[in-house]
Parts: sequence; structure tokens; C-alpha cells
Amino acid sequence: MKWLELLTVAGATLAAAVTVVVLYSLGVRLTAIAGDVQQASPGLKRSLAYVCFGLCGLAVLFGLYLIIPYFSG
Amino acid sequence: MVALVIALALFFDFTNGFHDTANAMATPIATGAIKPKTAVTLAAVLNLVGAFLSTEVAKTVSGGIIREGSEGVQITPDIIFAGLMGAILWNMITWLKGLPSSSSHALFGGLIGAAIAGIGFNSINLEGLMQKVILPAIFAPLIAGIVAYVCTRLAYALTSRQDPETGSKLTQKRGGFRTGQIFTSSLVALAHGTNDAQKTMGIITLVLIAAGTQAPGSGPQFWVIAACALAIAIGTYAGGWRIIRTMGAGLTEVKPAQGFAAETSTASAILASSHLGFALSTTQVASGSVIGSGMGRRGTSVRWNMVGKIALGWLFTLPAAGIVGALTALLVKTGVVGVLIAAVAGTAAVLFMFFYSRKSAVGHHNAIEVEEAGQAVRFAKKKAMARARAKAKAHSKAKAEANTKAEAQTSTEANTSAEATTEAEAEAITTKDAQR
Repeated sequence: MKWLELLTVAGATLAAAVTVVVLYSLGVRLTAIAGDVQQASPGLKRSLAYVCFGLCGLAVLFGLYLIIPYFSG
Repeated sequence: MVALVIALALFFDFTNGFHDTANAMATPIATGAIKPKTAVTLAAVLNLVGAFLSTEVAKTVSGGIIREGSEGVQITPDIIFAGLMGAILWNMITWLKGLPSSSSHALFGGLIGAAIAGIGFNSINLEGLMQKVILPAIFAPLIAGIVAYVCTRLAYALTSRQDPETGSKLTQKRGGFRTGQIFTSSLVALAHGTNDAQKTMGIITLVLIAAGTQAPGSGPQFWVIAACALAIAIGTYAGGWRIIRTMGAGLTEVKPAQGFAAETSTASAILASSHLGFALSTTQVASGSVIGSGMGRRGTSVRWNMVGKIALGWLFTLPAAGIVGALTALLVKTGVVGVLIAAVAGTAAVLFMFFYSRKSAVGHHNAIEVEEAGQAVRFAKKKAMARARAKAKAHSKAKAEANTKAEAQTSTEANTSAEATTEAEAEAITTKDAQR
């Protein structure tokens, strides 16, 4: 049986999904904070939010890069 | 015969496409992230792209279950024809019932049945069957469900906001997830293209090799890839609205954050598994994710009787498609007349199911029923209700403007009121949480 492969798939799925969800959630949270009325530095929070969204997008692209055989040669 | 099999394979690809649109697009449609028509178009395009991206799966498909090559028995176009017949008929039946069953299982079931009837029981590689079909069928929904559960909990934990001084709840502002859903559902559609279109390519290549028009061991030819990609894209565009309804509203009611978590889990599970060579069924992964995300959010209930129905559908997929495949294989064995009878009977059955479905058409306008969303409301407090009503007013205004060419006035009104009630429910839950 391919228990090891099964574990790998489960682990990879968990790692990938958690990375994307955590980054995106942080982005959503920071956007929400930046939108608050009394906020010391909304600009900083907003740019941090965009950094989170950007990292999330990069994580997805990296995943695709790993999977598409054209790139990995 | 070869041409007939290729045509049938492409038709299977088509049914696969519209059967599985739901996997990618049910949750964003349910949460209103994308309009139904736009959603299926997007899914179709991404399926097309995905089918061209990778042909790794195509090279390994169907190998390992039926013994082929020098040691085993030679697989003939007849067997594949019979197998495809079984797969297509089962896909049509489950579509009619709105059950999200696995197209790949239908294909495997049909092929296995056809091989048993056409060649004999020894043609089946039991260990391969266990490893490639039965174990993944158990673990695919489990893995996806657990991951989706964890992700949903994380998404809600990270975005729940409370005033540090008074402890009262702030507006949650989780609207960002709705935008995110557009991307994650696109990813699922892409994953589906890289995974499921390959199966048909593999079948056609197998037929071509069996017929001797292609060298054994070579990959799919370009026209095969293009034809399969097109067939699955057209199928996706046609849209299996019945299954979208089951996935989007039948299992559990879906909020944007849940949908985001579910889709991310689905996409990563499919991509990871197809890349690491452990084939999981797209449909089962997606269903598992939706259920998992339903369990991950407090106050959401999962409709377990619907889950049971679907699980029963999964159990029957393999044997049912197998029986049809076996019967077709027996018919085909009798010669040309048998092939003709099988082809005519199959076409008649498909046409009958199509016209039968017309009686109670489920289209993009009524794919996600309002009542079902309304049923979700269980406890809505007065305060929350009032707040939600104010919110809903602003919402409905914007919605009404956006939906100027809405098909029916009543449907938009019903939609917004349903949204209001679900929002009220969310508010009620969060206030409850805050009080705890």
C-alpha cells in the first residue's frame, strides 16, 4: 500500500491550504483594521494588507510552478 | 470502431465537464461572489487552459487496473467502447438526481465491468483497483474535509474582531473573502482541467495504440489534447446546474470565508495528489471540503441525510457503471449488430434522460434555491435582525442596480431577502460568541 504517498498528499494539501488561507485572512483582517475610524496609521496597515495578499498570490504561483511540468523541466 | 470510440470518449469528456462544474463553481455562486453565467464561462476557459498545462496524468491513466501489455490481456477498442457507455450512462443518471458523483469512478467502473464481461475476471488487477480506486475513495473526502475544517477555523479566528476595551463585537468585514473566492474557484477549475481532461486523453490514446495507429508508450497527440480540452470546456460551459444546487446549498449553507477555505483545500488537494501520483477524485475532494468547511463554522449545520445520499451514490458508482459496461461488452461481443444495438440504445437512453430533465429544468436562474438559504436561519435575535435589515436595505439597493437586466424582479427580491436573513444569522452567531 502507498501509505507514505497518502501521507505526503495529506501533508502537502494541509500545508498549501493553510498557507494560502492564513495569508489571505491576515490580509482581510488588516484591510478591516485600516478601514476603522480611529486608526493611527491606516496607510501602514493597508500596505501590510497588500503585502499579505501579494504573498498569498506568490504562494499560489509557486505551487503552480512546482506542478506544471513545463517549468520543472 | 475506433472513430466511434473516440466520439464516445469525447462525449464522456463533455458529461465530465458539466458534471464537475459544480466542484469549482458551486460555492462562489452560492455566496454571490460570481454571477452564475460568468462563473461557468470562467470555469470553461480555465478547464481549457488546464487541459493543455499538463499531460502527465494522461500517460498513466487506466494503467494498473486492467492488466495490459505482454503479460496480461490485450485491451481492445470494444472493451473501451463498452466501458465508456457505462460511464456516460451513470454520469447522466447522477446528474439527473443532482448527485455529485465521481466521473473518474464511473469511467473505472465501466472499464472494469467491460473487462470482466469481455475478457474474464482474471483481467482485473485487484491490488491496483484497491490502491487506485477504493482507498482514495475513502481518503479523498477525509483529507479534504479535515483540511477545509482547519482552514475554516483559521479563517474565522484570524478575522474575528472585538473591541479591546468594551469587548463588544466590531463589524467583521469579511467581504474580502468574496473577492478571494473568484481566485480560489478559478484554481479549482484549473486543477480540474489538469486532472480530468487527462483521463479522456488517456483513453483515446489507449484506443489509438490498441488500433495500431500510434506507437505504444507514446504520449497523447496534439489533436487529441485539443479535442479533449474543447470537449471538457464546452461541457463545463453547459453547466450542471442540478449538481451546483446540491453542492452550493444542499450540503450546508456557505459563507464567503467558508467558500474560500473549501476551495483552497480542494485546489491544493487535487493539485498535490495529481502531482504526487496519488489520484484522488475531484468530486469527492470538493464534496469533502464543503462538508468540512460547514463543520468548521460555529452555528452551521451540515445536512447529514444529504451527505448520506451522496455517499450512497459513490458506493453505487463503481458497480452500476460496471454493470452497464459489462452488458455493453456482452452485446459488442456478438458482432457488428451488437455494436449497433448498444450505440442506438445508449443514445436513446441519453436522449430520454435529457428530455426527462426538461420537465423540471434547473438552470442558472434557479440553481440555488431561496428556500434552502432561508432554512438556514434558526436563531435570529431582534437586535441583530434590525441591524441586518438596515444593512440589507443598502445591499438590495446596490444589488437592484447591478441586476438591471435581472431575469425576474421577484427573484432578485427573494435573493436579497435571503441574503439578509443569512446575514442576520451570522450577526446573531457572532453576538452570541461575544457574549460567551
